[in-house]
Amino acid sequence: MPRLTIDGREIEAKAGQTVMQAARDHGIFIPYFCWHPNLSVPGNCRICVVGVAEKDGGEWVEIACNMPAAEGMVVFTASEKVKARRKATMEFITLNHPVDCGICDKAGECTLQDYHFEYNGAASVSRDAKTHATKHFDLSERIVLDNERCIQCTRCVRFTREISMSNGLGMLDRGDHSIVRPSPDGAFAKDAYSDNVIDLCPVGALLAKDFLHKARVWYLKATPSVCPGCERGCGVNLWHRKDEWKLRSPRQAARNEGIDRVTPIENPAVNGPWVCNKARDLPRLFGRVRATGPLFKGAPAPCEAAVLEARALIAEAKRPVAVVSSWASNEELAAFKAAFGSRFALVAKRDHEPQPGEVVQDDLLIRADKNPNAAGVRAVLGECGTEVPKDADLVLVWGEGFDFRAVPAGAKIVFLNAFLAPENGHADVFLPLSIQTERSGHYTNFAGVTSRFERCFALPPGVLHAEELFGSLVGNGRGA
Amino acid sequence: MTRRTHVRKRYWNEPEMGWYEKAYLPEILKGLAITGGVFLRNMAKWMTGKKGALTTYYPEETRWDYARGNRGKHVLVQRPDGSPQCIACNLCATVCPAKVIEIEAAFDPADAAHPKYPARFEIDYSRCVFCGLCVEACPEDAIRMEKEVPTLPSPDRHVMWLGKEELLAWKPARDAAKPYPGRPAGDKDRP
Repeated sequence: MPRLTIDGREIEAKAGQTVMQAARDHGIFIPYFCWHPNLSVPGNCRICVVGVAEKDGGEWVEIACNMPAAEGMVVFTASEKVKARRKATMEFITLNHPVDCGICDKAGECTLQDYHFEYNGAASVSRDAKTHATKHFDLSERIVLDNERCIQCTRCVRFTREISMSNGLGMLDRGDHSIVRPSPDGAFAKDAYSDNVIDLCPVGALLAKDFLHKARVWYLKATPSVCPGCERGCGVNLWHRKDEWKLRSPRQAARNEGIDRVTPIENPAVNGPWVCNKARDLPRLFGRVRATGPLFKGAPAPCEAAVLEARALIAEAKRPVAVVSSWASNEELAAFKAAFGSRFALVAKRDHEPQPGEVVQDDLLIRADKNPNAAGVRAVLGECGTEVPKDADLVLVWGEGFDFRAVPAGAKIVFLNAFLAPENGHADVFLPLSIQTERSGHYTNFAGVTSRFERCFALPPGVLHAEELFGSLVGNGRGA
Repeated sequence: MTRRTHVRKRYWNEPEMGWYEKAYLPEILKGLAITGGVFLRNMAKWMTGKKGALTTYYPEETRWDYARGNRGKHVLVQRPDGSPQCIACNLCATVCPAKVIEIEAAFDPADAAHPKYPARFEIDYSRCVFCGLCVEACPEDAIRMEKEVPTLPSPDRHVMWLGKEELLAWKPARDAAKPYPGRPAGDKDRP
């Protein structure tokens, strides 16, 4: 265990650690572009230079990301020599950078921008014209590449080689003509993790087409949530407009409600720092047309009357069956259990099945069960059946993805669903539910790790929280 | 210890009136004569077609004597081809203390020099405080303020929005502050 001194602080590094890793473990910040804790060390950006004291009192500089921590080493992260070297490095990295921050979506959370103000802050000293490169290159259907902004850190290239294993990206040419390009076999377009390179990119070279010019990042806030795309339950940040930046123009107000982008939350127990592309498409999943009012045999009904009718149907049923959603949070499942106890025979339902073209399962993150809380259903309600019993006279269907042909003939149907669907009108009573972004709760993933998601938006009018609804579905008769 | 009651400070003097003022009626008649004289004089001017009182008949009339640097209605500067010079960077919307500027940006891959442009640019004049910070924040000199104020009289404060079409009033031909390169010689046929 080598002991070394960084900026006068004596720290103990773990065996085999580099100076960068040891410093980060002890909360000492050393800047970096190309280095990433989960990727290999290329050592090409040179911004992480630190000074190391020599025995004769001098100081030599070396990059912290590739220098093993050694016993008795004395490291300076901000000596005059290091500052001068960093300033020179920043001048070199920004030599051909177009500085089009005004139209760059990364502006505001850009490492290059932050480091420029921190370590350089001066205008370019170059008298030569900047080299130009492809301004918009369609890397895939999801990502657009701006080669002028690229600083050739190769994080994206190493991600496709070391993490997603698609080998979809590479560097072409040398010097200031060096550019990132996808492999000709189209492997990057098929990479199920390709959008992670957008987060990895320290500048605005790789941008999501879905988020392109949608909002400046300082207008957005991140709400921690859990991706419901599969039973992995990756931690994600859902970015939506801050309250003070809500648009008031009648022609733009629709942009206020909705998720603008999704980024991963680093959680070593579940997903590490990555998420798959399905998580990035959550805005589309949650943005589907919603069911906004209760229906009574297909006709719009007042909310109280519909709840009373559902309550009466449940009270009158002799052999009721509940088809439980595996998209329900643990809180909703607990509320269901508290309200009904063992009134229902239980059937567990897979709300979502793998879509055509979707990666079903792989070694990195993606799991075959495309529902977030199947483990939570088992934990709260115990083992449930898989088929609706033939003698059921009432079926309470909770959530989407249920084939109504499985309902026995003559059985009444109470349907709880969040989205507009043709089945809504076939139920005897239909009640609209909230979606994940309108409530908070917990999901338990396949490995038993429970993660919390927070509420992003207010509940739309006419929509009910399942957690509160179940209490009012207990009782007898149609009377209030 | 005695409790002191608060004594209000006296700001105003007592009126000092002589017997003539105290008689009341002559002074009242004098005042009536002044207002009546002004009224009759204005009415006579109106009847003969001359302008009388200094009332401005807003919104049909606005003042002509705004100062040169008065911060009034916003204008979006145009490029010579008529497109807005705005790059939709949202700095004006960000700096605006009243948060009245709302921009929807769009992407135009065909225009390599200006790939980001405002699809919508809207200002709510019911809340604008005319501070001019948007003009100062603009990195492209794309938004300026005319000395004339916007004329948007309405009983409803929710309809005082002006969009990109209304704000694109500035003609580059008379833009002395930012001259565009002139048309090359011998290039007369192009519009």
